[in-house]
Amino acid sequence: MRSHSIRQRLSAATPRARVPATTLLAVAAAVALHAPFACAEPAPEARAAPAVAAASDVATDVRVERVRPKREKHPTLRFLKENRDFIRARFDLLREKPDDHSGSAAAIDPRFLSYQHMLREILSARDSLAVAEDLRQRRDLFQSVTALGELEKELDLMENLLAAQRGRLGVMQADFTGRQQTALAIVVSGYPGDGALATLTITLDDGAPISIALSDEQRESLRRGGMLELFHGLVEPREQVLSIAIGGEGWPADDAGFVTLDPARDRLTFLRMDLTPAHAAQGAASMRASTWLQDTALDGSMVRASDGTPIRP
Amino acid sequence: MMERDIPVVRSLLPRPHPPRRTLAIALMLTALLGSRAGAGTHASSEARSGLDIAAAAAQSWAGDASLIYIENDEDLQSGGTAPRWGYLFFSPALEKARVYSVRDGKIVVAENLEMKFEAPPLTAGWIDSGAALDAADEKAGRAFCREHGGKLSTMLLMRGAFSEGDPDQTTWTLIYTSPHAASLFVVVDASAGKVRRTWRG
Repeated sequence: MRSHSIRQRLSAATPRARVPATTLLAVAAAVALHAPFACAEPAPEARAAPAVAAASDVATDVRVERVRPKREKHPTLRFLKENRDFIRARFDLLREKPDDHSGSAAAIDPRFLSYQHMLREILSARDSLAVAEDLRQRRDLFQSVTALGELEKELDLMENLLAAQRGRLGVMQADFTGRQQTALAIVVSGYPGDGALATLTITLDDGAPISIALSDEQRESLRRGGMLELFHGLVEPREQVLSIAIGGEGWPADDAGFVTLDPARDRLTFLRMDLTPAHAAQGAASMRASTWLQDTALDGSMVRASDGTPIRP
Repeated sequence: MMERDIPVVRSLLPRPHPPRRTLAIALMLTALLGSRAGAGTHASSEARSGLDIAAAAAQSWAGDASLIYIENDEDLQSGGTAPRWGYLFFSPALEKARVYSVRDGKIVVAENLEMKFEAPPLTAGWIDSGAALDAADEKAGRAFCREHGGKLSTMLLMRGAFSEGDPDQTTWTLIYTSPHAASLFVVVDASAGKVRRTWRG
């Protein structure tokens, strides 16, 4: 089991692909918008109120279970598994094909060497023909104004082709640089009524456990209504079970709460674990969880400061 | 849960009539598994239909993952369709292969392949399972089913393993089985849609 502080966790390489740094801003914005207790210092009541309304509209409560939910088993790739030795043997044959011939070099037939020379002559002749043809075409083109008009048409065609190519490149760029991949951000808030909080451990489906040791400052932040990000990374767009364990004095060992999530494809899903209702005697399953999606309709250019000036023009 | 017959490849060479005991066991197994098979209530689609979401998941798993193998995970229906297809990806960085099984546009299985399987990536532009089935049926499959009471059990797409002449070729391999005769293998070039070879085994 790996152990990281939260700051270390954000920069450490994990088996899963990392989320680009720019999306961290989106996480911060979305958490601030949907979770009113995100700030280390509680915001004034008047300013938090609209956000509370927004959060209650979009966040969905998620059940935290005591036992890992059973999932139906589906067999897959059975032909491959049944015939693996045969298929592997076929690949081995492709990689290595020994024969009875020795590896020593034989004398090269002089005729073969002359073929190379002939090939060079052919290429040279072709180049000469191309140059001659080019000159002839140029003479023809400039012989009349009509020919110049045709040349202009050809240039227009080339420009159109270039414009179309630029358009295609634009589509590809949008696909590869601006596309949101399926991602998950897990945040924790609140502080348990009893029991000391020392570590939080998250285990993603098929992933290694990620253990986070909480510092005194982080514990104090949670007590004051702060929120901590435990995980932010790419996840598979499928139904999966996450486990979250609480470590510390009074908490039962080998205990975890299980949450079933189905992250939406190409969206950022948030999972908030609220520790406020959790009790050491009842284990990690006594915490509360809710989930919501990042609001992609938000237009950053519309964000304005209190004096009405755009924050990001 | 739906099951399907899995033919086990023993040899590339044609073989004589199967012994009587093997035939009896094959008949029993076919009857047993056949009774559990069926289209169910899930939509049946061609192989390419689930590729998009499987590829998205594979990219989340490993940025360098590439598709290396496809196989039907449930019984094949008409037109080269199946309710569930399995997509296998390989990551050179992780040195692991991971399979995603897709049904109704959702990933219902995601698991790492326990065996070592470093197949080359499939080439782009492969024909879908329906077109591959058309070619195979026309060449030999339809006749085999008619003469031996057989059926199409497996379709798999991979590169190299079943193409004799060109090891770089991505091919569909279709396996027709019958309780009364040796299975029929038909290899279809996944680029040109032409049958490259057939054999019984």
